[in-house]
Amino acid sequence: MIGRDLPLASRLLLREWRAGELRVMLLALLIAVLVSTAISFFTDRLQRGMATRAAEFLGADMRISSREPLPQEFLQEAINNSLQHTDMVDFSSVTSSDMEMQLSSIKAVGPDYPLRGEVRIAQQAFGAEQVATDIPDAGSVWIEPRLLNVLGLEVGDTLEIGYAQLRISALLTHEPDRAGDFYSLTPRVLMNLADLPATRVVQPGSRVRYRLLVSGSEADLQRYRQWLEPRLESHQRLTSVADDNRQIGSALQRANQFLGLASIAAVVLAGVAVALSASRFASRHYDTSALLRCLGASRQRTLRLFLLQLLGLGIIATLLGLFAGWLMQWGLIHLLRDLLPPDLPAAGPKPLLVGSATGLVGLLGFGLPPLLRLGRVSPLRVLRRELTPLPGSAWLIYGLALSGLSLLMWQFTGNLPMTLAVIFGGALAALLLGSLAWLLLRASGNRLRNAGLAWRLGSGQLLKQPAAAAGQILAFGLILMSMVVIFILRTELLDAWQAQLPEDAPNHFALNILPAEEPAFRQALDDIGARSAPLYPVTPGRLTAINGEPVREHVTKDSPGERAINRDLSLTWASELAPDNLLREGLWWEQLPPSDEHRVSVEAELADSLGVGLGDQLSFVIGGATVEAEVSSIREVNWDNFTPNFYMVFSPGALEGQPSTLLTSFHLPADQRDGLRELTRAFPAMTLLEVEAILQQLRDILDQVTLAVEYVLIFVLLAGFTVLFASLQATLDTRLYEGALLRTLGARRQLLRQANRLEFSLLGALAGLLAIVAAELVTWLLYRFALDLAWQPHFSLWLLVPLAGALLIGFAGALGTRAVVNQSPMKLINRGA
Amino acid sequence: MSDSVIIARHLSKVVDAPEAKLTILDDVSLSIARGGSVAIVGASGSGKSTLLSLLAGLDLPSSGEVILAGQSLATLDEDQRAALRAEQVGFVFQSFQLLDSLNALENVMLPLELEGRRDAAERSRQLLERVGLGHRLSHYPRQLSGGEQQRVAIARAFASEPAILFADEPTGNLDAVTGAHITDLLFELNREQGTTLVMVTHDARLAERCAAALHLEAGRLKEDQP
Repeated sequence: MIGRDLPLASRLLLREWRAGELRVMLLALLIAVLVSTAISFFTDRLQRGMATRAAEFLGADMRISSREPLPQEFLQEAINNSLQHTDMVDFSSVTSSDMEMQLSSIKAVGPDYPLRGEVRIAQQAFGAEQVATDIPDAGSVWIEPRLLNVLGLEVGDTLEIGYAQLRISALLTHEPDRAGDFYSLTPRVLMNLADLPATRVVQPGSRVRYRLLVSGSEADLQRYRQWLEPRLESHQRLTSVADDNRQIGSALQRANQFLGLASIAAVVLAGVAVALSASRFASRHYDTSALLRCLGASRQRTLRLFLLQLLGLGIIATLLGLFAGWLMQWGLIHLLRDLLPPDLPAAGPKPLLVGSATGLVGLLGFGLPPLLRLGRVSPLRVLRRELTPLPGSAWLIYGLALSGLSLLMWQFTGNLPMTLAVIFGGALAALLLGSLAWLLLRASGNRLRNAGLAWRLGSGQLLKQPAAAAGQILAFGLILMSMVVIFILRTELLDAWQAQLPEDAPNHFALNILPAEEPAFRQALDDIGARSAPLYPVTPGRLTAINGEPVREHVTKDSPGERAINRDLSLTWASELAPDNLLREGLWWEQLPPSDEHRVSVEAELADSLGVGLGDQLSFVIGGATVEAEVSSIREVNWDNFTPNFYMVFSPGALEGQPSTLLTSFHLPADQRDGLRELTRAFPAMTLLEVEAILQQLRDILDQVTLAVEYVLIFVLLAGFTVLFASLQATLDTRLYEGALLRTLGARRQLLRQANRLEFSLLGALAGLLAIVAAELVTWLLYRFALDLAWQPHFSLWLLVPLAGALLIGFAGALGTRAVVNQSPMKLINRGA
Repeated sequence: MSDSVIIARHLSKVVDAPEAKLTILDDVSLSIARGGSVAIVGASGSGKSTLLSLLAGLDLPSSGEVILAGQSLATLDEDQRAALRAEQVGFVFQSFQLLDSLNALENVMLPLELEGRRDAAERSRQLLERVGLGHRLSHYPRQLSGGEQQRVAIARAFASEPAILFADEPTGNLDAVTGAHITDLLFELNREQGTTLVMVTHDARLAERCAAALHLEAGRLKEDQP
């Protein structure tokens, strides 16, 4: 049957196209596919680009670390999977000159290090940087400038590491995988792996990290990962871009969430446009359907003919949309070429799938329900035109469309709570908006009853079919809501990020300050114009037991807990709660009854991972002695802000008698960096860590995100305007007819123009009012449940959005209904007959 | 009467009106011979169009029975009635009912294409030439005058060689001269193809050209019927 109808349906489709009946619908579908494809392409590539940036923090796409040399088969399998690879060995050792010694963290690297990102070196302290094209030659090392100060050496001098004497050939100013643990860092020495045996430092039992770095295509990495994971032993750890590095991880995650959200908005809008144009298509084809039935086509066949046309249209629109989306993404990337990473990776096949799925879901979910009415047209309509088919139970199909959309959204965001928040927020908002729109409409109708003719005509158009008008207000309300939500999120998410990383965020960490030097150090910071966070005492110590049971039994592999217990923690004590820490459970010291027992406040994520709660007894080994403390509070910590933060904060006195040094972070303006030289001279034992470079990387990422967000917003706007014009198209026929009638009765064009403008401005204002109500609801839900931000009402928008709605929709409406004012009334009356 | 192509027995049509039930047709019985031409005449609201829709199987009676081309419509479902229409019935409407998005040729081709006939285009072209529109094949309805549109509709109605042609006020939207031309055309084609013609009209002169006339008054056939 389908085979027989396919040629006829294609011919009908072609004829409809020629007659110009399908353009709006095709445009709506095309834009739905185009928008989601372009956004998907762009975000996919951008995400890959950002993942590349994040990979720089790792020096590779993936890193396998172990305390023992890694099995040869790990390397062999990496080679088999055509992955780039290099070896690296990390360890701490004393380095020395003729006069001085200093514990340093040494990294011996193999050729090709780093696989991602770059190493930068300079020939003198604070001198001009250059990108290293190779690793240090055998027999030479690159060291951090501060080590020069401590050891009293110059570039070109010899540095001793164990038994090896290595020439200092350059100063190390930047290494991509630096952004790890600031607290455990001693000055860095980068050496050639080939020199490692000569040092004789690495002996059985030495504290050494062997690492294998690998990079390659996603598929190769995925395959390698699948092979590797089951073979990892407990002391071997796999780190990849996704699970490394807190700061970058959370920035990336938020970026993804935001771009995903923007895509959702665009897809929903395009869906609305498809539904509107399908509805117009259906109502313009009731006669066709009736006639086909009259000419003897069965109900089923009539419907099939229309569905085949719809499908054909969908396929054409999808193909065109995919191509246009792909092109548009190129244009976008071309426009942004200066701001994007130069080697933006190609997109995977996902955007094409997402685009096609959007086309299909949009078509079936939004286009099908109105078209199904075509199957219910009575053939009697040929004699009695007023017979329109009853609206069927479209609920089921809209439900399906919504589910399909939810899946798409989930795909876009990868975030179920956020998807649910948007859907339920949206559904709730739609329900509220719909009823509210209806009420508002009736109220304004009553009010306008005594107004001028143009007002009565304008509002009359809306009141004639209050349900339809409420639907339109709902549609426009949804568009405006999406735009407002995006606007709010754009400004506030970025503000929240920026607030975490203000321009004067600490850009240096100072470690290993002796307690006796504290007053002098404070003074020195003041002298060079640095602004400092408080100084925290730091004592290295290891968590060994929870309630007397060895801590190993409490943690699962790969949890943050495991990371925390595998190494020395920086333990501190404080009398005050740090300003950006938040107590989730328990009380701070002064609110607790006095006790002789030691107390400790644990960071929330670690506490969850260790399964530790209030009242648990923790045992630490500090400097050979065991210290017991009771958990008295659980703290939420903001790790993104580059101020000193600690997993464990003890009550004052708990760490008394333990050897400790002080730690702080401070902000020093870039033009005052000379002060650093004085600081390192005055406090030679201090370790100074520059986070400026890391911060800059982080800012770059945020800038890229901002940019992406703004461009994605343009697509959303595009989708919004499609809906606007689709919905105007949907009512254009009756408008043309009525406009002609009014003009026949002597109405001047000015009056019609005014009435149109008033109608759409009223519509826009009401839609704007509803949009802001809904946007507040949605942002509240998002902030509360998905983004974990504090929410405040946006009072200025309460005025701005309805005004903008009135202007925008008033203008577009006047534009879209020009024909009503301009076409010859005679022609229209003839056609309307 | 044995060669009756349409038989109606005790047809009634009652609809729900806002205040009470409204009887539109009341116990109408008739029979129409094959190849004949019958006019259904009566004032506005007398139930003419309703009777036509029941005879053509576009609607179902509240009670009574219609036998169309030997088949009782009551025993057929909507789709079977559609199939019967495809095979036996053609229509001409007062409002032409051409599809705006199809040109003249395509409008005529439509029923033939639904049948899957390969000669749809050729036959439609012939028919349009027959009705005098051979030079306007690719014109859209909006580019044609009322009379021309009705001629396209007539060509379409005869395209599938129906046994019965139902015409609902075929000249109702046309001026007198054009209407007369259309009437001539309709009767010529009717004669050429041996079609049974059932026509609703309130044009007395048009009714006179039919072999028989049925007078409806307030939903009932007047007693002076043959």
